[in-house]
Order: sequence, then structure tokens, then C-alpha cells
Amino acid sequence: MATTSKNMNVFYRQKKNSSASTGKKSTKSPSPKHAATFGSDITQPPALVSHGDDFDEQEQVLRQFDMNMAYGPCVGITRLDRWERAQRMGLNPPKEIESLLRGGKVKLESLFDGRV
Amino acid sequence: MEVDSQEQLQRKQSTYLSLDENFEIQKEVYRGQQYSQIYFARLHMMRTLLYSLVPNWKSHLPVCTVLELEEGKECIIVGTLYKHMKLKPCILDEYSKERSVAPLIKPHNFMHQDDYLVLEDESGRVKLGGTKLSPSVYVTGVVVALHGKETSAGAFFVEDVLEAGLPPQIERPLKSREDKYVVFVSGLSIGSSSSNPLQFQLLVDHITGHLGDEEEQGFAAEIVHLVIVGNSVEISHGLLNGQNLASKDQSRLSEPFKELDILLTQIAASLPLDIMPGSSDPANFALPQQPLNRCLFPGSATYNTFRSCTNPHCFELDSIRFLGTSGQNIDDLTKYSEAKDKLDFLERTLRWRHLAPTAPNTLGCYPFTDRDPFLIDSCPDVYFVGNQEKYETRLLKGC
Repeated sequence: MATTSKNMNVFYRQKKNSSASTGKKSTKSPSPKHAATFGSDITQPPALVSHGDDFDEQEQVLRQFDMNMAYGPCVGITRLDRWERAQRMGLNPPKEIESLLRGGKVKLESLFDGRV
Repeated sequence: MEVDSQEQLQRKQSTYLSLDENFEIQKEVYRGQQYSQIYFARLHMMRTLLYSLVPNWKSHLPVCTVLELEEGKECIIVGTLYKHMKLKPCILDEYSKERSVAPLIKPHNFMHQDDYLVLEDESGRVKLGGTKLSPSVYVTGVVVALHGKETSAGAFFVEDVLEAGLPPQIERPLKSREDKYVVFVSGLSIGSSSSNPLQFQLLVDHITGHLGDEEEQGFAAEIVHLVIVGNSVEISHGLLNGQNLASKDQSRLSEPFKELDILLTQIAASLPLDIMPGSSDPANFALPQQPLNRCLFPGSATYNTFRSCTNPHCFELDSIRFLGTSGQNIDDLTKYSEAKDKLDFLERTLRWRHLAPTAPNTLGCYPFTDRDPFLIDSCPDVYFVGNQEKYETRLLKGC
């Protein structure tokens, strides 16, 4: 069961990358080499698994930005585009988010990207 | 035969400025976004505007969001209206096994006495009660401010409504005192069995000054612009059934365009003309419709007086602003609300400051992410809609 789900994961990811919607940057997701090791998250859907390296402080801040209702929906728009839209609408989004996004090394897509 | 009189009649001219940039979608990139983005942009723009109008309306009442409503507390809420309609066609009806309320024959108007309105913002939605807000007048997508209070049943009892009202009009003094005319034509439907080429030729002859005596020609010389407001061609649906076309049918497909191009060449040689796409023209289905391809008009597109425009179309002639559509927005309002005549619908869209409030709910629309191009921020001097049953006109005076 675990192995099939791992194959499904890979298959699913391939399908997503070939469509025109997502950008070139592929999402980081550690794929454990061993299938059914004790304590592995293989059987869990990606959205529920908290990957240690994904969940650093910067990503936490960006996820809070994604979830903030004042700046509008986050699905289907990159974080930087959403920040710029909020800026243009006069919503005064925090400048730290912009510098984080432009600095690189963070996910440019919202937290729901590829999962919805 | 008398030689032409020494005085050659000159056509009057106007300066033209196109304001269609807002309706063009070449720069837009589709990244899988849904319509929530355009609704957010609409709500934000309109809400900012309504918040600025509320102090002049009822300054003593607090403004709150839908989730902040408390029972019995009188307040003002701002949000997007949603009309729940029993008879509105739903894709799920095709899959439901039991008989639905909707009759088999599609009605022209989907209203029902059980329709009710709901107000929605980012925090939540609330059902609206009371008689002030009539479900027969309003449609999904209109942003309004409501004064009322929450009832024990959890609904919001509406005591008063504030619409955005007519947008401000830029005051521009007329430079010249002479009369100039703009011709609007729609629904030519070339290629349909009901279209009469003689009628169109008569129009072309009249506009270009080939008809009548000097007085008539003088009148025609005052025409400075022609706008074709959609549905210029009609391709018979028998040809578009998905089968491969035989070569003789292929020529039938392009016949209407050849005929249209011949006539438009005559017009373009004489005065500036704008052609807008309509629901039956070969343009994209969703609003804003993009300009018809210039390749369809090999003869007339060579003239610099020929302009292929978007639908909706906005332009200025001698600083007079014109704004209008080929009719899809008004036709959709006719299906989902009611009014005494079409001009009432037109007036409502101006008072709601939105060209097509039912888009994207029941009217196809591009999923913009950062703006809603159908918001009207400056009141046009001439507001037109094409392809309606009859010609009507009204002069609207704001305060």
C-alpha cells in the first residue's frame, strides 16, 4: 500500500509539472528512499505532512501572509504578485514580506500550490 | 450636366482617443487562478468607495464586517450581493436523478418569487430580509452598503440601501459650438437570411454622402465617426456542427466576411470607423471580447480610419467620453432581473458603477487577478448598448 502511494505521488507530481499553470521552480519535498520505515509520512497526503525544512521561520511568516484575508485569496497567484497587488490597492502589506520574497531561497508559490 | 460646385463639402473631424487598454488581455497570464481574485478586486475597490460615501449617508452608525454582526445592533455592512435563484440553470441538474423544479423548456427569465439575496464579504455571508432590497432588481455581483440589524433568525433585516451612485464626470468645456454626429449600428448579421444587403448599402451611401442633394450631403458631412456595435456577421450554425467542412462549405463560411469587408472598405475610405465584436462574431466568448482579427478585413484594415476594438469599448471624441457594449451584459441582466425597459438596466449599471455585475457568475469573463476592468470610475457622456430589440434613448442628469 505504501509503495503504491509513493508511486502515485510521483505520478501526480509529474502531471502537475507538465501543465502550464505552475512556474519553473519545483516545490521542495523530501522523498524518503525507503518505503515503509517506522515513523514515515508516506501514507499521509502532502498537505498534512510537516516537512522539517519547509517549516522554517521564514516559511511560517509567508504562510501567515498567505492566510491573511485582507490581501485577498492566495490560490492561483504567486506570493510576490499578491504582495504587489496588495501594494497597488493601498493595503500596505509589510515590507519584510517583499524583501523575503525578492531575496530568494523561499517558496514563491502560496502554500496551497500544487495541493488544491 | 452641371459640374460639381466650386465649394467641395468637407467632412468634419474629431480627435479620437482610445481607452480600450483596460479591456485588452494580451498581457494577462493564466496561472490557474479562479474567479475569487476578480471578486476580491471588485469588492475592495467598491468597498473603499462606499466607505467614503457612508459618512455622508448615515454618519452616526458603525460600520462592521459580516462576521462582526450582533443581534439587534443597528449598523452598516458592505459586501457583494448574491442572489439565490431557484430556476437558475445548474450543471448539477443534469446529474440529479429526481425531477427538478426547473421546467424542461428554458425560460427567458429565471426569476422566481422565492429568490432571495445574500450579502457576502471575506469574513462571511448573511441572508438579507426586509422589503427595501428587491430581489427582482438586484443581481449577483453588485456591491452595496446596507443599513439594518441582525434578527434573531440570523438574517440581516435591511432598512436602507446605499449604491455607489453615478460616477463623477470629468467636466470638459466644449471647444467648438458646431454640431457633430456619431453613427451607431449593431446587429448587421451579414450572412443571415434576414439581412438585406440593400439596406446596408443604403446606409453606406448615405454616410459617405452619395445620396441626396446638397442639404443631405451637408448633413452627412457632419458625421464624424461610425461605431459598429457587434453582431456584424452571422455564421449559420449548420456549418459549425463539428464536422469537417467540404471545400464548398468553407467558402460559405467566409462569404459573410467578404461581403462585410467590401462595405466596410467603402466606409473606411470616407470616415473613421470602429468595429466591436458581439455574441455572434468570431471573437472570444468571455468578456472582455478582444478585437476582431484584422485578417478578416483585408480591404478595410489597410485604411488607418479602420479600428478593430474590444467589447466593451471606451473612447473619447473631442474629449466627449463614450462607453458601451455589444449587449451581452444587458441581455444577462434581462435574464436574471426585471425592469420596465432596457434603459432601466443601463441606468442601473451606471448607478452600480459596474458594466457587467453578473460577470463572472452567469456571464463569461476572463479571470483577472489584480483588477476588475468593468468598474466604471468616470461617468461617460454617452453610454450605449447594441443589439437590443428597439432603439431607445434617455437623458440622465446627475447632481
